[in-house]
Amino acid sequence: MSARYGMVIDLDRCIGCGSCMVACAAENNVPALQQATVRTGLTPIVVRTVSNGQEGAARRETFIPIMCMHCEHDTPCVKVCPQQAVEVDRATGIVMQMPQRCLGCRYCMTACPYHARYFNWWDPAWPAGMEKSLNPGIAVRMRGVVEKCNLCHARLHTAKEKAAAAAKREIDPTDYVPACVEACPTSAIHFGNLADANDPVAKESRSPEAFRLLARLGTEPKVYYKSKEAWVRDLAETNSAPRPEVKHG
Amino acid sequence: MASRVLTDSRWIARGESRTSFSRFLLWLAPWTALLLVGIYAAFLCLYHGLNQTNMDNRFAFGLWIFLDLGIIALGAGAFFTGFLVYILKRVELKPILNTAVVVGFICYSGAVAILMIDVGQPLRAWFTFWHPNTHSMLTEVTFCISCYLLVLCLEYIPILLRNPQLRRLPSFLVFDHQLHRLIPVLAAVGAMLSFFHQGSLGGLYGVLRGRPFAFRSGILIWPSTFFLFILSAIASGPSFLMLVTAAVEKITGRKLVANEIFRRLALISGVLLGIYVAAKSIDTLIWLNITSPSEGFAPWQFYIHKPFGTPILFAEIVLFGLLPAFLLTFRATASRRGWLLCAAAMACAGVLLNRFVLTVQTLALPTLPFDDFLQYTPSWQEVASFAGVIAYGVIVYSLSYRYLPMFGSSKGEHADVSGN
Amino acid sequence: MFPGIDGFHWTFGHILFLLLFFAVALTIVAIVASAAWRTAQDFRNHHAIDLCWHTEFAQLPDSARRCRHELAGRVISRTCDNAFDCRHCSKYLQFAVLPPAGHLHLSGLDYPDDRYYHRGHTWVKPVEDGNVTVGLDELARHLVGTPDFCNLPKVGEELELNQTAWRMKKNGNEILVRTPIEGTVVAVGGPERDWYLKICPRFDLSEPVTLRHLLRGPEVSGWTNRELERLQEQLEAAHTPPALADGGVLLPDLMNVIPDADWESVLADTFLQL
Repeated sequence: MSARYGMVIDLDRCIGCGSCMVACAAENNVPALQQATVRTGLTPIVVRTVSNGQEGAARRETFIPIMCMHCEHDTPCVKVCPQQAVEVDRATGIVMQMPQRCLGCRYCMTACPYHARYFNWWDPAWPAGMEKSLNPGIAVRMRGVVEKCNLCHARLHTAKEKAAAAAKREIDPTDYVPACVEACPTSAIHFGNLADANDPVAKESRSPEAFRLLARLGTEPKVYYKSKEAWVRDLAETNSAPRPEVKHG
Repeated sequence: MASRVLTDSRWIARGESRTSFSRFLLWLAPWTALLLVGIYAAFLCLYHGLNQTNMDNRFAFGLWIFLDLGIIALGAGAFFTGFLVYILKRVELKPILNTAVVVGFICYSGAVAILMIDVGQPLRAWFTFWHPNTHSMLTEVTFCISCYLLVLCLEYIPILLRNPQLRRLPSFLVFDHQLHRLIPVLAAVGAMLSFFHQGSLGGLYGVLRGRPFAFRSGILIWPSTFFLFILSAIASGPSFLMLVTAAVEKITGRKLVANEIFRRLALISGVLLGIYVAAKSIDTLIWLNITSPSEGFAPWQFYIHKPFGTPILFAEIVLFGLLPAFLLTFRATASRRGWLLCAAAMACAGVLLNRFVLTVQTLALPTLPFDDFLQYTPSWQEVASFAGVIAYGVIVYSLSYRYLPMFGSSKGEHADVSGN
Repeated sequence: MFPGIDGFHWTFGHILFLLLFFAVALTIVAIVASAAWRTAQDFRNHHAIDLCWHTEFAQLPDSARRCRHELAGRVISRTCDNAFDCRHCSKYLQFAVLPPAGHLHLSGLDYPDDRYYHRGHTWVKPVEDGNVTVGLDELARHLVGTPDFCNLPKVGEELELNQTAWRMKKNGNEILVRTPIEGTVVAVGGPERDWYLKICPRFDLSEPVTLRHLLRGPEVSGWTNRELERLQEQLEAAHTPPALADGGVLLPDLMNVIPDADWESVLADTFLQL
């Protein structure tokens, strides 16, 4: 009964509010560091702004949340880690990062085409008092190791425990929802089991409006995007078009 | 008695003239200062973490990876000379074997030191030896480098034990003798290890499917960069040895190595460089026409970002590849010291440029369609630890030159030349 | 993190890879271990001193490694490849001619024929009680004169061939003298007597092979002439008045007469040190 958890993110609904980023940080005990910049901070999910590169009336912009795509085939980061700190969980399809095994060589970050991996450049720290709001179910990562989105794996554990307590083999899908999905005010992020043909998310992922970033690399990412706008869908593959300008975060 | 032992001249082989101790100290002083700055920078990186560097999540590898790959390529002279002398029995190269071993030792130990500073949790480095990921090129690199550094230490010990004071202790002398009998085995193991890890350092980037600029198809599990790195390393290693020897000759004002050996090294370096340039050209053509388009990347888009335009490709293959290959191979240019050293420097520069392009340019280029070309400037801590490694190398080499027989047993050589 | 813990599982790849790696690592460690073990073994079997001598011999200048047959003029040029141990030299018999005896007198130096000469400028003289006496030859005595300090081995000490037999000091220079014959020290003399050590040889003196490695007759004169030549060359470099004119006589107590010569080199070459 192996699952393949994945997402479909409806870019037409994303308003770029960043609730998912905040929810993710709160859920996963991401340190709140003053020193961190756009390029050094920990943002397991990050909402980026992309435009079609035109000016004036022809200009179009959209928001695109980027996170670990949980590549299924030849997962780039899994292949390169020298000490098996990254593994694809066969039961869930989640690409698991194990910070306790990581030596911080950052080879996986070099390998990831989505730049969805983050290094703990600083010792974790929180403003005074904020440590009381930490999530007790999640271990804080030490300085010098790599981390990334693990689809709120701890929530899966909780769901499994609940199912076990109720003597059920399968978890209730409503019990396992990542924090970002839960937090999105416009319900732009849909989460489900892609291996289950009847799952609405699996169906959605097969719609003609759905696409994946850099699917041509053949790594079978499990995070899909969806948009009615053709220029947004073109983002997935276009490289030769006039390059759109980029804004971080 | 003790004061006699501590006298500097007692530690210098009899018959070797060396500069005065005070002048030697004067020479070491600036390098020591640089080394101390480097150690301080390394301490900052280890104590405060890698936030001391200017690396970031996107530029996750910085100056250090270029330094590591660069000096390991240049240090290849050690294993390759050992391979030529002990395995292929090119005994005419024996007079430079010691200096090759010391240069190799410096390069590899320096690289490992830098590596330890630039990983997030150096104390966990041993994890790789316990639960290795057999599919990772970095595993291969870690294994081979650590084993080969061990081999280099063992090859360095007999040279160390040639010191006139150390050799007075009979146990050292006997150990040296016994170790020396086993050195060919070590050289063979070392050559195998180095061939592999020079290759896997190339494979490091060649396997990155997510970095189309570096990704290469290849043979079995090894991308083409695996073989190109081996070739370019053994081509540039002898050139670097020539440069080092010439620099030492210039500084000390002594003739240390026969011209014959220089020409032999030049020929080896030149021919191998020629083969490398041919292989690299074929590889580049395959990549431009097959590998990259099949991944959906038009190759020209890798070269639209200044300063990483096509001139850099030209410089890498023609200016610092083909040209020095010709200069090193032809007797007319190779027999003139000026041309020879110029060509050797170009060959080394070409290999360094290759390592730079493969590491730094790869990281700077965007992969995501809406991503941007990124720039990164190393922080002073990164530059200082880089400089510290160079200073370390100069100091170790200077000490070795002063107190150890670096260029064959020059005593026997001189006796041969002057006596007969 | 450890096998069986934290979800770690062995695969064939791991086992192969780890086997390969540890095989290489073991090879390296085994090489060091075997070198160390052999070293220890050498010391136990008293091979160590012989090995030291062989290693040092290989690094002596070519001019110091001439075969005795070259010195005697029986062959034009031959470098010794047996560390001066003619007893185990396969080539020795090829040339072996019993050296004619005779008292040698060279440049004022006396080389009596009742003794055998070692290349480290010592001699071995069989005495009536079956022991041998060991002393410095005339050339060495002319160089050193009376040493400032002399550290002789204790009676009963076992000496190996070519091992340092005793140490002397003169004008701040340390002099190490090599043992010309293996055996046990039975008595010590010193600079004030005409011998330094009395040794009970390990091997039977009546066997001709026991003293075969030592020089006699024309070998001694050939060797001494070369040594004098070398000495003169080295001392001339110090811009000093000649120690011996052509056909002249070597001055006694040279180290005091010409104090500013490069004595370190001279002494090392004379006593076969590196």
